[in-house]
Amino acid sequence: MSQESEWEPKILGFLCRWCSYAGADLAGTSRKKYPANIRIIKIPCSGRIDPLLIIRALRTGFDGVLVSGCHPGDCHYQTGNYRARRRIAITKNFLEYMGMEPQRLQASWVSASEGGKFAEVVSEITRDLKEISPNRLFTDERDGTKATE
Amino acid sequence: MSETEQKLRNEAMTLLEQGRADYIIGYEAGSLKFTTTPLITRDKDDIDRLVINPFILNNLSVFLGDISGKAGIVAKGCDSRSIVSLIQDQQLAREDIVIIGVPCSGVIDLNKVEKLTGKDRDELDDIAWAGDKAVVTIEGAKKEFPAKDVLMDDCLSCDMPAPQEYDILLDEVGPLVCDKELSRSQIKELEEMSPEQRWEFWKNEFSRCIRCYACRQVCPACFCKRCFVEETEPQWISPLPKWQDNLIFQMTRMIHVAGRCTDCGECQRSCPVNIPLRSLSKKMEEIADELFQYKAGTDKDAPPLMAAYESEEAEDFIR
Ligand code: SF4
Ligand code: SF4
Repeated sequence: MSQESEWEPKILGFLCRWCSYAGADLAGTSRKKYPANIRIIKIPCSGRIDPLLIIRALRTGFDGVLVSGCHPGDCHYQTGNYRARRRIAITKNFLEYMGMEPQRLQASWVSASEGGKFAEVVSEITRDLKEISPNRLFTDERDGTKATE
Repeated sequence: MSETEQKLRNEAMTLLEQGRADYIIGYEAGSLKFTTTPLITRDKDDIDRLVINPFILNNLSVFLGDISGKAGIVAKGCDSRSIVSLIQDQQLAREDIVIIGVPCSGVIDLNKVEKLTGKDRDELDDIAWAGDKAVVTIEGAKKEFPAKDVLMDDCLSCDMPAPQEYDILLDEVGPLVCDKELSRSQIKELEEMSPEQRWEFWKNEFSRCIRCYACRQVCPACFCKRCFVEETEPQWISPLPKWQDNLIFQMTRMIHVAGRCTDCGECQRSCPVNIPLRSLSKKMEEIADELFQYKAGTDKDAPPLMAAYESEEAEDFIR
């Protein structure tokens, strides 16, 4: 039990290169403190997010996934984040119906100037994930297969 | 032969004779009693084989992608929506097809009839629609059953039995028999479970999946020339049918066909291990409707669900 509350979630963040990735960079250069639980993959636009990337991250054993892009209206390619928003909404609702905990798929709008917001988002998500247990969705108790292939 | 059937044969013949269609895609009697099988032909001599009866269950729109030239296709309500959806996705040009619309009374589930009558299909003389009742003739005696009891599960949830898009309409639109609650009873059961129980349920179901991909092959919405499961760089899922990868395949497929799936029920019927796939696709339909008021295949001029957006839309899940 106590072991469970001490666990550190692993989060995979897909950040768009124009806003959120730059925001994460700014969080670093302005020395904002945030949990070291996130691993970041830079994507060209939040519109690049594919449900398969999200599902694969969970299959690989990440406890949570964050997709982050520019605020509505600010997309470098005009409409990428609108498309991402719809795709994430569908994916999230569907995966929750399958039995995924809602905390596991997260999304945020973080601009290049919002280093502070990025730090907050990561802190909040880490806290949310600590409230649930580590990701065992793809772990096979029966044959002992680990989540990671 | 019914009037509708005669009309279909006349129309199909005219299409071929006038060169308005190079092919006719329809149904012919199957090798077993009370079954049909797809008939694709450009031979006028085959036209007499075309049938319309309560057993025309295949969604023929799946063949449209493989045919070059103009096709005359027989379409029920759900099939016509699949065709519209293919047009929306620019997989088809409207002018390349002639849609022969069948106002559908619903497809009869033979297993249900066998169960109700306690007879094997070979012992039944006839099964036919009479309004909202199915009339089954056994050894000369007629027995009536409410449509609800003998309809295919997906027909039970259908509120668009009339073709949404057609060039020729074979008949008047019949009575609507649908029972939404009954048709989503398994979804309701699942919704009442805890997330863990639900995941456990699907995990068990997909432990049986042999990854034959029949569900994908019969699906008109799965029109990709190369499916993600066959990609090798990167290899998204292992080709071995482990439950984890089976689940990834099906979850991803369901998300891919969101907004294209018309709940025709073909995937579930094709599954050799009886996984209740409609409890996934139907739910996906509900999600699309709830979040974006989107109904697949109802407007050929609308952009597909995943290609559209509004500047203001549901985003309460975004920080
Ligand atoms: S038809 Fe059934 S067994 Fe075959 S791949 Fe689909 S879900 Fe699996
Ligand atoms: S599962 Fe997805 S990638 Fe595969 S054929 Fe269907 S839509 Fe295409």
